Amino acid sequence: MLLQFAGHTFEPLLSGALFWRAESMLLVADLHFAKFSSYARRGHMLPPYDTGLTLKRLERDIEQTKAERVVALGDSFHRDEGAETLLDTDRLRLLALLGKSHWTWISGNHDPSPHALGGVCVSGLEHRGLTLTHEPRRGSLGMVAGHLHPAATVYSNGSATRRPCFVHDTKILLLPAYGSGAGSMNILGPTFAGLFDHRTLEVTMLGRNRLYPVSTKRLVAGI
Amino acid sequence: MPLHPTIETWFAGKGWAPRQHQLDVLASWNEDASALLIAPTGAGKTLAGFLPTLDDLTHAPRDELHTLYISPLKALAVDVARNLTTPIEEMGLPVTVETRTGDTPGSRRTRQLRKPPNILLTTPEQLALLLSHEHAAAFFGSLRRIVLDELHSLVTNKRGELLSLDIARIAGFAPGLRITALSATVARPDLLRDWIAAPLPAARTDLLIGKGGAKPDISILASNVVVPWSGHSTLYAVPELYSIIKDHKTTLLFVNTRSQAEMLFQNLWAINDDNLAIALHHGSLVVEQRRKVEAAMVAGQLQAVVCTSTLDLGIDWGDVDLVVQVGAPKGASRMLQRIGRSNHRMDEPSKAIFVPSNRFEVLECEAALEAVERNAQDSEEPSLGGLDVLAQHVLGVACAAPFDPVALHAEVNRAWPYRSLDWPTFERVIDFVATGGYALRAYERYAKLKQTADGRFRIANPYIAQQYRLNVGTIIEDPMVKVRLVKGGRVRDGKRSTGPIGRFGRVLGELEEYFIDQLVKGDTFIFGSEVVAYEGMFETEAYVSRSNSTDPRIPSYMGGKFPLSTYLAEGVRKLLSQPDEWHKLPDQVADWLRLQHDVSQMPPADSMLVETFPRGTQNFMVCYPFEGRLAHQTLGMLLTRRLERARARPLGFVASDYSLAIWGLGDFGGLIRTGRLSLAELFDQDMLGDDLESWLHESQLMRRTFRNAAIIAGLIERRHPGKEKTGRQVTVSSDIIYDVLYEHEPDHILIQATRRDAARGLLDIERLGHLLARIRDHIVHKPLDRISPLAVPVLLDIGKTAIFGEARESAMADAADELMREALGQGSVALKAAPPPSIRTTRKTTNGLEQRGRRRAKK
Repeated sequence: MLLQFAGHTFEPLLSGALFWRAESMLLVADLHFAKFSSYARRGHMLPPYDTGLTLKRLERDIEQTKAERVVALGDSFHRDEGAETLLDTDRLRLLALLGKSHWTWISGNHDPSPHALGGVCVSGLEHRGLTLTHEPRRGSLGMVAGHLHPAATVYSNGSATRRPCFVHDTKILLLPAYGSGAGSMNILGPTFAGLFDHRTLEVTMLGRNRLYPVSTKRLVAGI
Repeated sequence: MPLHPTIETWFAGKGWAPRQHQLDVLASWNEDASALLIAPTGAGKTLAGFLPTLDDLTHAPRDELHTLYISPLKALAVDVARNLTTPIEEMGLPVTVETRTGDTPGSRRTRQLRKPPNILLTTPEQLALLLSHEHAAAFFGSLRRIVLDELHSLVTNKRGELLSLDIARIAGFAPGLRITALSATVARPDLLRDWIAAPLPAARTDLLIGKGGAKPDISILASNVVVPWSGHSTLYAVPELYSIIKDHKTTLLFVNTRSQAEMLFQNLWAINDDNLAIALHHGSLVVEQRRKVEAAMVAGQLQAVVCTSTLDLGIDWGDVDLVVQVGAPKGASRMLQRIGRSNHRMDEPSKAIFVPSNRFEVLECEAALEAVERNAQDSEEPSLGGLDVLAQHVLGVACAAPFDPVALHAEVNRAWPYRSLDWPTFERVIDFVATGGYALRAYERYAKLKQTADGRFRIANPYIAQQYRLNVGTIIEDPMVKVRLVKGGRVRDGKRSTGPIGRFGRVLGELEEYFIDQLVKGDTFIFGSEVVAYEGMFETEAYVSRSNSTDPRIPSYMGGKFPLSTYLAEGVRKLLSQPDEWHKLPDQVADWLRLQHDVSQMPPADSMLVETFPRGTQNFMVCYPFEGRLAHQTLGMLLTRRLERARARPLGFVASDYSLAIWGLGDFGGLIRTGRLSLAELFDQDMLGDDLESWLHESQLMRRTFRNAAIIAGLIERRHPGKEKTGRQVTVSSDIIYDVLYEHEPDHILIQATRRDAARGLLDIERLGHLLARIRDHIVHKPLDRISPLAVPVLLDIGKTAIFGEARESAMADAADELMREALGQGSVALKAAPPPSIRTTRKTTNGLEQRGRRRAKK
């Protein structure tokens, strides 16, 4: 399926990545690498596999789209020093990916400092009239961002279903968090208040085997 | 050794004589044996438990810890302390008694460690805390006796598993220890005896069975009104219940769920013209309110209390002269215990009335009546040890002192639930505690346990012990949300407010977070005996406002929905298959069964009936396993998968305690008749293999179960109310942790523990397994032209209970379809902002049949 935004055509992927075929560019937001392992020092031995699973998705997406460019929209590392604390196996896989495509790392609030893993570290990117950045700003035009981990809840037959989603109006497009260890927030919650024009809102939820562009009338707040 | 004269004189002064079982417990003690005393409520069990201690300390007073009493309830420990102090004071015995609970002030706790009382009364959680103390070995060294109260209720869950480990540990500290356990009547007393014998292999353990009381006087409410086909509201019986309450001094009305309690209470008050003192008691109400009800009850000020299992355990609530079980009894042992709540004098018969809420429950009540008549027991067996609980214990042991793994393994094996735990598994548990136990050894440098040069394990730093103490225990409540009553109406359609509506309202109580999660603003439900409308979540509280709605959406929040016991299920099956017995049943029920007999057939006692029939545009398959709702739900999940594969196009299913109905587009009956669908293959036991595994992977149940195991095992921390925002706790959702772990290391011990919990709890796999074995080559197919009388109740449940299927994905598909319709300019309903997507309606038809359905809200 295709997603139209600010005069460009994108392909949202089931993984939560956004593929810009015309530019051969794969956009991913909020990878949160090394999130679980960062809790270990405080005694919470969470499974050290979140990074590996995120990398697996990335490997598959890059393989399938043959994207020449990868742009990570910030919070790629859960902690600023994350690039150094990556487990060895994960680091090798990431380096292999960095060798396949041209990577641009946009800094986020979790990882403001540049790192030396490879690719280019920038604070933002202008491309074909679009602003690629981490944190969305109210009132901007043609902005593609992450940061907020959008999810939508729809209600039907007595049960509510909540899934990460792509969400955009005519001005701002938000990607869901891509990292396997990242959580999500309801787009009707207070965090998103005033960001979107709800009359032109479009929401695409990530299902198990397909994407669901859903009617915004079915959205519910709360969870 | 004769009873000490002081005590004998006291008994004589009261005009009493010690009862035989009380003397038996003393005799076992004097012969250096442990004992399990099984006796009905009101038999003076507690005194029996303490008589040896009082006798021993009177003969030889001393200044050290002698007896540890452990009860499942804090309130029970406090109650027992009071009941024990009175005779001790009256006799002037040199015995000190103290409680140690979560409410005990810090100064007294410290003093208790330095200078313990002779008798310490506490709970399993407090015991685990004591054992993690560095002086635990010295503290328990002088202990002579452990008294375990209400053991039957402890051994069936994780609290019992942890307790068994703690007792095995204490047995190592206290060489002279003997155990006395008190229990209500259970199905397998031998297992309970083994349970307390295991930690003390050198001691004899006696099984003492107290004399039963007078036979209870039980009847089934013979209603003049039509009993409904389905539902659990028991509305039809409310006027009759009211007059029964009026005729008695104090009536306890037991129901099975909190929502039933709320409804019954509400309905009784609606007709309470005499202003009878009728109260409500269930686990969701605020503690102060519950305490008020309990106090009023002890003081004899209440005429009736509507309650759930919160009043099941042995506290003496005063002079109850009637127990009413409203709704299905579900189990014979539970009924006997509930009935025992009436009339605490054991020589007089307890009086009880069963009130079935629908026609199947009439059959169940009949089966329960017969079971009680024969004193049949169907209580659960003690559970086997979970690895999550063991992980918590291992860390607790390390917090007290470094441990030798080989010695600890041997000790753990002396806890009955862990008697066959092998060494490799034990090693994995230690590894889990130390580093998370992952195949990818990522956390060695952060290990919580370090091995010393002599092979022992110690905690890496004192902070770990602090963390352990905050998270001890195995009771994991569903995350609860405070429900606060506020003034409503400030949030208008189309204008979403993000701030509080009106603070300072009264807190009504607490509800499970997942129930609140399902609510949409404007949804109404009964809570704290008021009809309220949901306003929204504000920080950690759910705000509700008073509603004028007469049509509340009834809360479906859990709270003790027990599945039908195997024993009663058998009774119901037998009753159905013996038409000569039907004369015992009310006419309306017997007529219903005769009709079934004529148009279809009765479910035979030794095989399973499967009916198929078309209805509307769909086809139905209804089977009658009588194995309880949980097992049926699991069966429904697995059958729909298989039917899908067989291209029978199932759409959904609904399960009751008695039957399971699946509907779909395929012609089930035709497929079976023509041999394209084989019932034998459909119900083959192999469904518990791959089909189960692949369903579990997607199931929300597994995620919820995992959360509990992860908290108990110490992987994630408990949420402490009000402390969510300290930032020190893990904020990663346990669902995400589960997904990551399951996908990468599905054999991890926490996934193993989760699978075991789900299998025995929410999924009831064991019972499903028994069912599939029982019906192999014993399935009777009955193709019909239309719905059968027996299928009516479960079909009426459609729309009332959750319908299963691919609900989660289909909600999104629905919303996507709606978008498509909009795009095509077809019939989409114009609505402002975010409307309530659906409301419930209640319709009553002339024959009292109650139906609930959903319709789209129209504005």
